[in-house]
Amino acid sequence: MNTDVEELLAEGMQRFTAEVQAPAGLARTASRLHRRRLAVRAAIACGTAAVTAAAVTAVAAVGVGGSARTGARGSQAHQVAYVVNRVENALAGANLVFEGRTTTAAGPSITWAYGSRHRWEEFTGRGCGHASPNGWCTHRGGSERYLAEGTALIGGKLTAAYVTYFDRKYSLSHRRVPPPANACSATGALEMGGPPAPIDHWSDFINQSLACGAASVTGHVWIGGAETTKITGSPITVRLSPDYAKVVHEKWARARWTLYVNPRTYLPVRMLGSTQTFGGPGGDTLFKSVTDVRWLPPTKANIRKALVTIPPGFHQVSSPAARPGLASQ
Amino acid sequence: MVNDRVVGELEHFLAERADHLMRTAVLLTGSHEAGQDLLQAALERLIRHWGTLRGDPEGYLRRTLYNLAADGFRRQGRLQRKLALLRAGAQAPADPTAEVDLRDALVRILLQLPPRQRAVLVLKYWEQLSEAEIAALLGCSEGTVKSATSRGLGRLRELADRWHQPEVERQRA
Repeated sequence: MNTDVEELLAEGMQRFTAEVQAPAGLARTASRLHRRRLAVRAAIACGTAAVTAAAVTAVAAVGVGGSARTGARGSQAHQVAYVVNRVENALAGANLVFEGRTTTAAGPSITWAYGSRHRWEEFTGRGCGHASPNGWCTHRGGSERYLAEGTALIGGKLTAAYVTYFDRKYSLSHRRVPPPANACSATGALEMGGPPAPIDHWSDFINQSLACGAASVTGHVWIGGAETTKITGSPITVRLSPDYAKVVHEKWARARWTLYVNPRTYLPVRMLGSTQTFGGPGGDTLFKSVTDVRWLPPTKANIRKALVTIPPGFHQVSSPAARPGLASQ
Repeated sequence: MVNDRVVGELEHFLAERADHLMRTAVLLTGSHEAGQDLLQAALERLIRHWGTLRGDPEGYLRRTLYNLAADGFRRQGRLQRKLALLRAGAQAPADPTAEVDLRDALVRILLQLPPRQRAVLVLKYWEQLSEAEIAALLGCSEGTVKSATSRGLGRLRELADRWHQPEVERQRA
């Protein structure tokens, strides 16, 4: 009987997998997913939170005479506090809609944010082209919208939404999206896989990011016909969490960012981020991203951009966050 | 850094072995889609270490596949996790041609076993590895492999015994 069961099991396995074939483009998809994961992490580590804090610190230096050199610690703290207030007032008082267009090797993404509304959309990129219903690159056609994550207005309430366009599905969750972590803490800076700019309330975001520490003004650069102030943040090096280290087989990550701010409005216009993981047997991995920022007037149309909309005909599935699934098998 | 050369080399390697690896991944996870996710996760790891690999890349890839599966496939990427969960939310269409016989039932039971037991049985009866080889691949002792095999087969034998009962008894059960 035992031998029979073992033989039958082996036959059953053959039969179960007889029709299985590997999809085409496995290597490219794996490469793309790998880069996308790093992109998302890099955006978190080096994105808006860190950058905003840099703006706060840097504008302090500029505002006191255009030099990155500051005076006594007390004076510096006073200047930072002053500029924090200016930036907060600029953001809150101006009541603007944030729009960040990020370019990475893995493909483009766009973030919109307004108050507690936000939407992050990821596109397949030209290398991937049209995505098939199972989410795979077909390498045909141009870049197309792949997924959206953020808040949707459902029955008059802001609701977390997640839409995948390639398979025409969406899920909703009434759990509140937690405020962004301090971008300079070990957990915040290297939080895996979040959207690039999970902006909830800007003032909280700025306050939580102040601990990022020193930044220095490193020059002036013309972007889009306007002069900007270039600010470089101090690299942040953190030890990876055991779980993440196990995945990437590396122990450390170093995040860097550079910010270009409009010296008149106190608002950033471009961010550069890079994250390098190292300390493992596989060699260093470096990922870079560039985000161009625009501040849009809060018209109805612009505010709508910060909301995820569920396209008609899409099929609702259970909220990923609430389901047990492959991740917990 | 991942570049086109690495992707090209990997594609060349996969042209030969992708189907077998995909079948293994499907057996380890129980579905085509989950198998794709598992294989993709293993390939991502392989890409990271492609430049420094010594020896057979398939060995590394298989080891990664089985270890991911034995660990319960705890992938860390939030994006991929969400995608996988979304996919898992969809009901897989029933295979109208699937004949429910003992072989199919055994595989179904196999897919309900804990990840490590399942990985051990797939290694033993799909990959035809010895217990020592399985232990080396999963990084555990031979004793662990033996006990996992024994427990897994025990569940399968229970099923087989019930299957061999007369039809009436089986229906009553």
